[in-house]
Amino acid sequence: MNLRAFLDTIVLLTKSEGWELTNTSTPIIEFKNVGLSYDDNEVLKNIDLALEAGKFYTLLGPSGSGKTTILNLISGQLTPTRGDILFEGDVINDVPVEKRHMNTVFQDYGLFPNMNVFDNVAFGPSIKGMSKADIKNKVTEMLELVKLTAYADREINELSGGQKQRVAIARALANDPEVLLLDEPLSALDYKLRKEMQYELREIQQRLGITFVFVTHDQEEALAMSDWIYVMNDGVVQQNGSPEDIYDEPINHFVADFIGESNILDGVMKADYLVHFTGKDFENVDAGMRPNEQVEVVLRPEDLDLTSVENGKLVVTIDDQSFRGDYYEITAIDDDGNEWQVQATNKSTIGERVGLTFDPEDIHIMRFNESEDDFDARLESYEDDSDDVKA
Amino acid sequence: MLGKIKWANIYLWFVFILLYLPIFFLIIYSFNAGDVMQGWSGFSWKHYGELFADTRIIEIVVNTFLIAILSSLLASVIGTAGALYIYNLKQPLAKNVLLSLNNVLLVSPDVIIGASFLILFTVLGFSLGFTSVLLSHIAFSIPIVVLMVLPRLQEMNQSLVASAKDLGANNWQMLSRVVLPVISPGILAGFFMAFTYSLDDFAVTFFVTGNGFSTLSVEVYSRARQGVSLEINALSAMMFIVSLLMVIAYYIISTRAAKNKKRGAQMMLAATEGL
Amino acid sequence: MMSKRKQQRQLFYLVPYGAWLLLFVIAPLVLLLFQSLTTQDGHFTLANYAIYFGSGTYLLMTFNSVWYAFLITLITLVISYPMAYLLNQLKRKQFWLLLIILPTWINLLLKTYAFIGLLSKSGTVNNFLGLWGIVPQQLLFSNWSFLLVAAYIEIPFMILPIFNSLAEIDPRLAQASRDLGANKWQTLWRVTMPLSMSGVKAGIQAVFIPSLSLFMITRLIGGNRVITLGTAIEEHFLVTQNWRLGSTIGVILIVAMVITMILTRDRGRQSSRKRG
Repeated sequence: MNLRAFLDTIVLLTKSEGWELTNTSTPIIEFKNVGLSYDDNEVLKNIDLALEAGKFYTLLGPSGSGKTTILNLISGQLTPTRGDILFEGDVINDVPVEKRHMNTVFQDYGLFPNMNVFDNVAFGPSIKGMSKADIKNKVTEMLELVKLTAYADREINELSGGQKQRVAIARALANDPEVLLLDEPLSALDYKLRKEMQYELREIQQRLGITFVFVTHDQEEALAMSDWIYVMNDGVVQQNGSPEDIYDEPINHFVADFIGESNILDGVMKADYLVHFTGKDFENVDAGMRPNEQVEVVLRPEDLDLTSVENGKLVVTIDDQSFRGDYYEITAIDDDGNEWQVQATNKSTIGERVGLTFDPEDIHIMRFNESEDDFDARLESYEDDSDDVKA
Repeated sequence: MLGKIKWANIYLWFVFILLYLPIFFLIIYSFNAGDVMQGWSGFSWKHYGELFADTRIIEIVVNTFLIAILSSLLASVIGTAGALYIYNLKQPLAKNVLLSLNNVLLVSPDVIIGASFLILFTVLGFSLGFTSVLLSHIAFSIPIVVLMVLPRLQEMNQSLVASAKDLGANNWQMLSRVVLPVISPGILAGFFMAFTYSLDDFAVTFFVTGNGFSTLSVEVYSRARQGVSLEINALSAMMFIVSLLMVIAYYIISTRAAKNKKRGAQMMLAATEGL
Repeated sequence: MMSKRKQQRQLFYLVPYGAWLLLFVIAPLVLLLFQSLTTQDGHFTLANYAIYFGSGTYLLMTFNSVWYAFLITLITLVISYPMAYLLNQLKRKQFWLLLIILPTWINLLLKTYAFIGLLSKSGTVNNFLGLWGIVPQQLLFSNWSFLLVAAYIEIPFMILPIFNSLAEIDPRLAQASRDLGANKWQTLWRVTMPLSMSGVKAGIQAVFIPSLSLFMITRLIGGNRVITLGTAIEEHFLVTQNWRLGSTIGVILIVAMVITMILTRDRGRQSSRKRG
């Protein structure tokens, strides 16, 4: 076996073993217990983040949740009142905005109205003192990247919203940042254009291989684009994880409610793998809680199916329905008076009594006041269990 | 960083002191026991006594305020009518021509306004005095009112007018119940601006005042040429207090009317910009 | 088509406003022009313009007037731009702005009168200089005192429009500039200043035109050393009673004003922002 093949095997092994490569390399951006207060107002509370180079991160949350504040702390527009912000391992709390190796795509673009498209994109390189020819090359390259080559001489006020967006991206990238910060960049665009830009942004990020930190309040956008999502509320990171993790295993009521649509009910874990809600016991896949612990139960509308009354785990009455193109959104009420959102493929009749069914693994359990670390540990233990089963 | 901020503050203070130095200088010397704006001979109210005993200056102050109130009231009425006329015009060309004509007196140097009004009154055979001064003040105040009222009209909700029409309001009802209440902050702002323009005017009045009639500015001008009297300082101090109260009143009214602090100050800015 | 009702209404508005336009805007200008172009007995003549353009004194006076107006504008601009910029950074800027506006509400004559006391030979400034052993100077009735007082009077009118245009700039643009690597000064030079040019132009307009026509300050402070176009007009109308030549200079002043306005016109954004 030659050396090259040997090394490749090791790389393969480490990957398959799920070794954490993050521990060996320094994160590009790190927040250590960062807080921010205005007067007596605590905007951010003890934030810890570790962002790896080359990934697409999203800070997701409602307005006022602190997501844009985090972005401004990273870019340097704000200085933390507590804790440290690190860039490639060095504390950068006091490094001014213009000296950081990152650039921002602003929410309403922040394009200079007194300059045309070319000069906007050329702004960063010309501040750096690049030669005229280099600037021209750089701008051309950037405009190609965002597909605006023909627009170099246009004035900013002649551009559509989507084009302005592209110029803002090109301008930020023209500085060769190691991290690109995007502050709700797509929120002003219409639905179709937004979808298109989501795809393109993702593509640009993968092509350039730099770190993106994307701020949005749109959970669909976050799920579609990100490698990793931080869900924010009230100045606190509620949960972080891959889009799948966050969608499938929300840690608490807020996350379950904010990400996708959810039916959230109060329940009791009677024993391992047995949960009680709406007056009945159901088999599920969660374990490790105190006997009879009060929990919240989450069932996603798309995981629910309507069936005959005899086959249903619950019996519900159809209350309302609306056609959504690829499915019917149905509101049904069970005998306890709980309201259920169901996505069904077939049309129903209002007032009809039907059965409601779901699989044990579609029941997600959320404990009250569970910390993120405990939550992660619990999830990991399930994964170990399932691995055991496979083995 | 800290050093820079300090320099900025020093500069701000420097300009503010420069702006207020002459004003406070006047006020301080109004209390001088001596008779000149030089050397300090001790504190005294005597110049205020002289001021109130001087019937001529009191008559002039009364005249000045009378002219200011009458001219700004009449200018508010005519200016509002003008703003309504311009607002209702459909053709953009006619609108622009009228707006340009409207602004002629705003941008013209006051010497030109004064000289040309003097020719006008002479040609018409109008004798110079109270009426000619009043007419001139109305004339240069009208465009200010128009400029204050017009933006209010443009901001007015169109569906408000349409629904009033739909409900059968006639011309007069429409004006008094719908339009005037909406634009009243603009009219008020215009009135205040016209009032202060009138109080402050010197050059136009100087040309059209004739011999018998005088306003405060003209009187100060002629007295200052003869030599300074601290009576004028006492008057200045009192005028300063009046101005201060008016600024505060205007600020409160305009901010409350606009329901938004920024707007209020902008209204004031727009008005002062035209000077 | 306008309804009859609407026509009635428009007529009702037009009568007072139209009368004002005719009588106090159009008629005075026409009369001024007419005066400058006619002889005593009403015949057309260019003689007044010939006198004006043929006289070295008048041309020099015009040049001086423009030169001093330029100096006054320059001085106020240099003082006002940093002031407007710094005011805009303050926390309660509307309040501070009010303090800038307040002196403009004080009668112009009273402020000028104050300078007579400040600058006279035994006045406060000379006493102050005396403390350093400087011999009392004749400060009043000099070109410098004229420039000082005129600039003092005009500063607020320069600060206000510049402040306005600075306040209108989206603060995000300065943030974007910093974000792209520009420091504070580069941001000021490349982003903030170009975007505030409309305010600078408005300020130049608001200061330059009145400065051309000052006559009260030239008499009280300048001691007739500086003769401006305004002084000449006042003298011809009220002292020598030569209205025809006075009107001619008036027409010249109007032409100068129009040229100034064309030069400082805000081309790009005329439609988007009128006043306030």
